[in-house]
Amino acid sequence: MNNPYEPIKTQILKIIPETAQIKTFVLKPENHFEFNAGQFIQLTIPGVGEGPFTPSSSPYEKEKMEVTIMQVGKITSTLHNMKENDLVGIRGPYGNRYPVDEWRNREILIVGGGVGLAPLRSLFLTLTYNLKEYKKIVLCYGAKTPEDIVYKESILNKWQKEFAGKISFRVTVDVGDEKWKGKVGLVTTTLDGIDEEVSNISESIAVVCGPPVMMKFTTLKLLDVGYTPEKIYLSMEKNMSCGIGKCGHCQLGKFLACRDGPVFTYEQLKDIPAIWD
Amino acid sequence: MEKLFVGKDNFLKFVQNLVERFSVYAPVEKEDFLFYEKVNQENIDKIKVDTRRAIHPLKSFFLPARRKVSEYFNSSLVHEQQNCVILGAKNCDLHALKISDSVYSGEKFGVEYKDPFYIEAREKTTLISFDCLSPDEVCFCRLVGVDPFPGEGFDLNFSSLEEGFIIQVGSDKGEKLIKENEALFSAAEQNMINKRDKNRERVVKLIEKNNREFKPAKSYRELIRDSDASPVWKEHSEMCVDCGGCNQICPTCRCFLLTDSKTKDKYERHYLWDACLLTGFARVAGGANPRPYLHQRFANRLLCKFYFFPENINLDACTGCGRCIAVCPGKIDMRKVFRDLAVEKKITVGLEK
Ligand code: SF4
Ligand code: SF4
Ligand code: FES
Repeated sequence: MNNPYEPIKTQILKIIPETAQIKTFVLKPENHFEFNAGQFIQLTIPGVGEGPFTPSSSPYEKEKMEVTIMQVGKITSTLHNMKENDLVGIRGPYGNRYPVDEWRNREILIVGGGVGLAPLRSLFLTLTYNLKEYKKIVLCYGAKTPEDIVYKESILNKWQKEFAGKISFRVTVDVGDEKWKGKVGLVTTTLDGIDEEVSNISESIAVVCGPPVMMKFTTLKLLDVGYTPEKIYLSMEKNMSCGIGKCGHCQLGKFLACRDGPVFTYEQLKDIPAIWD
Repeated sequence: MEKLFVGKDNFLKFVQNLVERFSVYAPVEKEDFLFYEKVNQENIDKIKVDTRRAIHPLKSFFLPARRKVSEYFNSSLVHEQQNCVILGAKNCDLHALKISDSVYSGEKFGVEYKDPFYIEAREKTTLISFDCLSPDEVCFCRLVGVDPFPGEGFDLNFSSLEEGFIIQVGSDKGEKLIKENEALFSAAEQNMINKRDKNRERVVKLIEKNNREFKPAKSYRELIRDSDASPVWKEHSEMCVDCGGCNQICPTCRCFLLTDSKTKDKYERHYLWDACLLTGFARVAGGANPRPYLHQRFANRLLCKFYFFPENINLDACTGCGRCIAVCPGKIDMRKVFRDLAVEKKITVGLEK
C-alpha cells in the first residue's frame, strides 16, 4: 500500500547557523529524493509534527538537500534544538516549481526578503546552472540588519565574484551598523532605477519571496515600474497539513496552495481577497 | 436494468441474512434524530431505513473522526478494514460521497496521492440506499438540485411501497447480493413502479413546499459570487459560537489535520477531523491568519461549497441535507443566508404565496 502520509527517514548531516534565528539544515533522505526549485517538502520532527519548507539547495545536487529555517513556532523551535546525525522525516516534494523553461532568453529579476531568500537560492542555483539560457539575472535582497542576512558569504562575496559581469546584485538592509558599507533602505528601494538594469520590463520576469508585507509592497512597486501581473511570480506561505490536496488548510480562493502553488503568478491571485494576510 | 420486488417478510429475511454475514449499520431513532447503529438481534426491528436521512453523516464510515495513518520509521502500519453494509443511506448521502471521492480518490486533488485508507473503506462497504419518504423540515435538497431518491452511486436501492420494496441494482456488488438471495425476490410489475414514481413525486412536492420561502430565482452558486464583502456574512454569523459543529456534521466537509505523537516504542501519525470555522484553521506558523474574523470563516465555509468545489469539479459541495441547520446551537440557517444574499442582489426569492 502506497501511503502518502508516511515520511521518509532522513538524517541531519550538518547544521549551519545563518543568523541568530535562522539555520540551514543539510539533510540526507534514506531513499532517493528529487525536487525542482519552488516545490516544497513536509518535514517531520518525529513524534512532534510536520511543517512545510522549501528546499534552498540546488536541485542538481542529488545526494543531499538543504532547508533554511527560521525559528517561529513549536516545530521550528524543536528543529533548532536538534543536533547533527539526528533523524527527521520528509514527504514530498509537493506543489509546482518555478517554470524556468518558460523564462529562457528573458531578463529575470529575483527579489528576496529575509528568510524568503531560501527558495530563491534554489532558483538562483537552478538558473546559474544554465546561465547562458537567460538574457540577464538581477538578484535583489533585503534583510533587517547586516546580522540578519542569510547565506551571507555567498550573497556578499562568493556569488558576486563568481558571476561578476553576468549577474547584478542589489543588497540592502533596513538598518545598518558601523561595519555595513552597503545600501540602507527597505527592499523595495532596490527596485529604484531598475530600468537601468532591465531593458524590457514588460517582457521580463520577476520572482518574489519574503514575509507577506514585503511581498505586498514589492508586488505593488513591480507593477508600478511596469512588470505585468502574469510575469510576477510569488511563493505563497500557507498553513499546510497534508501537502497533497486533501486537508483543505491551504485553500486560497479556488486554489490549493499545495497543489496549484506554492508558486503563483500575481495574475492568478490578484482578485482573491486578503491574499497578503 | 430490470427492477425487482421484495415483500415485507422477505425483506426482513434479507436483512437477517446480511446481519449474519456482515457488519450491518442502519439508522435507529433516538429522540428527534436517527443515528447509525450496528444492527443486531436486539435492534433489528427498530431500524428506520426509509424515512429520512440519519443525523450521522456517512463520511464517518470512510473518514472516521480520528484514524491512525502511519507508524513511522521502525514499524509499518497494519490496517484492517472490515467488510460492511450500510442500510438506509439516502440520496443526499450518496451525493456527498461524490465530493469526498473527488478529494480522497479522484484525479483533481492530487493524482499521485490518493488516500489508501479511504479507498479501502469504500471498496469494502456495500451501500444500500432507500428513497426518502418523510424528509425533515430542514431538508432542502431540491434547492441545490439533489433529488430525494437516488439515481446512481448505490449498490442496491430500495423504494418502499405498502406491500414491500422495489429494488434497483446499481453495481456488480449489488447484483451479487441479489443472486445470493435470489429466492426472496420477484420481478417488479409496472403498476408497482407507477406507485413508486407517485411516491417520489409526492416527496419532491413536500420538500418544495417546505422550502417555498427560500427558493431563489438563481442558483446558490450565482448568489455567492463576489459576495465576500456582503454584510450578510456578519449578520448571520452573529449567533455563531464558533463550535465547528456544522463542519463536523456536514457530510461534505472533509478537512482534517495530521498530528504526530510518540508512544513507548514508536512514532504515530493520526488523521483528525478539523473545522474551518475554528480560529486557527488557516493560521501559519509565523502567526499570519488569512481569516481572523468569524464572519470570514463563516463565509468561507459556504464559499468552499458553492465556489471552490464548483470551480474545481463543477459540483456544489452541499447536498441540502440540512444537518448543519439541525445541529447549530445558534439556530443559523444557511437557506436564510442565501435568501438574504438574493435580496441584496435584487434577485427574486420565495415562490408564489
Ligand atoms: S454549528 Fe452554528 S455555531 Fe457552530 S460553528 Fe457552525 S454556524 Fe457556528
Ligand atoms: S452544508 Fe449543511 S446542508 Fe449542505 S451538505 Fe453540509 S450539512 Fe448538509
Ligand atoms: S496542505 Fe492539505 S490541501 Fe493543501
